[in-house]
Amino acid sequence: MQRNRPPSAQAISVLRALAADPARWRYGYDLAAEVHLKSGSLYPILVRLADRGLLETSWEPGRGSRPPRHLYRLTLAGREYVAALAPTRAGRAVPRPRSRWSEA
Amino acid sequence: MAKAFIFMMCPVGIAVALLRRYAWAVPAGPAARGDVPERLLRWAVGLLSARRAEWGQAMLGELDHIEGRGRRWRFAAGCAGAALLLPPWGRAAAAVWAMVVAAAGAAGVYAATIVRYRLGAGDWVSAAIALVFLVSFTLAAATLLRRPGVAVPGLLGGLFVALTWLALSGFTFYGVTAPMTAPWTPLIAEVAVPVLVGVAGTLRGGSAAAGRRTARLAAVSAGLGLYLYATIAVAVLGVGGPPEDTGWTVSYIVSDRLGNNVIKHLVVVPLVTATIGWAAAAATARIRPRLATSVASVPLTAAGPAGEASRHPVTTPQEAGPAVRVRSWHRTAYLLLLCAAVAAAVFLAAASGLRG
Repeated sequence: MQRNRPPSAQAISVLRALAADPARWRYGYDLAAEVHLKSGSLYPILVRLADRGLLETSWEPGRGSRPPRHLYRLTLAGREYVAALAPTRAGRAVPRPRSRWSEA
Repeated sequence: MAKAFIFMMCPVGIAVALLRRYAWAVPAGPAARGDVPERLLRWAVGLLSARRAEWGQAMLGELDHIEGRGRRWRFAAGCAGAALLLPPWGRAAAAVWAMVVAAAGAAGVYAATIVRYRLGAGDWVSAAIALVFLVSFTLAAATLLRRPGVAVPGLLGGLFVALTWLALSGFTFYGVTAPMTAPWTPLIAEVAVPVLVGVAGTLRGGSAAAGRRTARLAAVSAGLGLYLYATIAVAVLGVGGPPEDTGWTVSYIVSDRLGNNVIKHLVVVPLVTATIGWAAAAATARIRPRLATSVASVPLTAAGPAGEASRHPVTTPQEAGPAVRVRSWHRTAYLLLLCAAVAAAVFLAAASGLRG
């Protein structure tokens, strides 16, 4: 059963970063750098957002011998979610440089 | 003598396994960096459930685009930690909790026994060492339990190993505290049973890798179970049970038995079971060549999720040329060394049994 817990401050910061340019596909590493999250915190957040239908993923085919890269952007539901979130939780979505493992 | 030899052969076996894995391994592909962060992450994403396999590929694909040793390390370590914890764990969660309870129970009984018999500081040091083993075993079991097709045969193998050791001690606290004197016990407990576990795991899992993992899980689960049982036995018996040398004090006897339990059940049993089981798995895969192909790590494909064109397509021996020939020579040498080690261990164990 899918549990819809309220998103953490870190998840909200990821949502906001994605919502800044919702049409643009983003790389995981760039996203992590932008919101100051470690990879160990970012990927569980992305997994949970995708599970909740707020995030869509795609693959950028590998060039030459380089492997493919996973891309992320908000779904329509994700954009609506962020829009609904903004007025109430705007002040709490401050990214922190040091993150907890289980945040998602 | 046979026991000592088998025990000494275990590090040799582990060294051969490590050589085979790292020094003789052919790189995964022309573009694969094969550095430690990538190896670490490949190992970790292999633990993800099939439902999350795509996320493992996402992490690997992203790592390939990160430059700089420090950055790669940080990214890989973070992703590996996430992969280790990422749900769903399925039924493996119940087994992991059982392992945690067994480990905590054994540590608790050890501590209670130290307090009850007023043992010295040295015993607390021993307890700390035992705790390190217990935590390591639990973590090892947690990773192995997440591997597809390993949990059930591994746990059944562990049960088989533990029951064999208990049967040889008569299923009594007295027996598990006393040394095994029957000459044929090393042959059964330290050779035959691990071989059976390794062979069965390989045949059931369909690869040498599955057999090795089955043997490892059987080793740690049997070690945990037997250690818990033996520690309870010491706590219950105290100075009772088999007679000890005259002049030993109560605390010395209890301390000695607790220490023996650590050596026997947290070192000897897991080490021998894992190593002999590994050798048996490798030999089984050799005898039945269609099983020899190891389970590959998570495939990284050119266009995305697994199932599409492979980034590192399998090459035929003709295409691979010298690389395959070199690997073939290495494999032959490895096989000869493996067979010699196993044959020597079996021979010495049998000779010891006949002499006794």
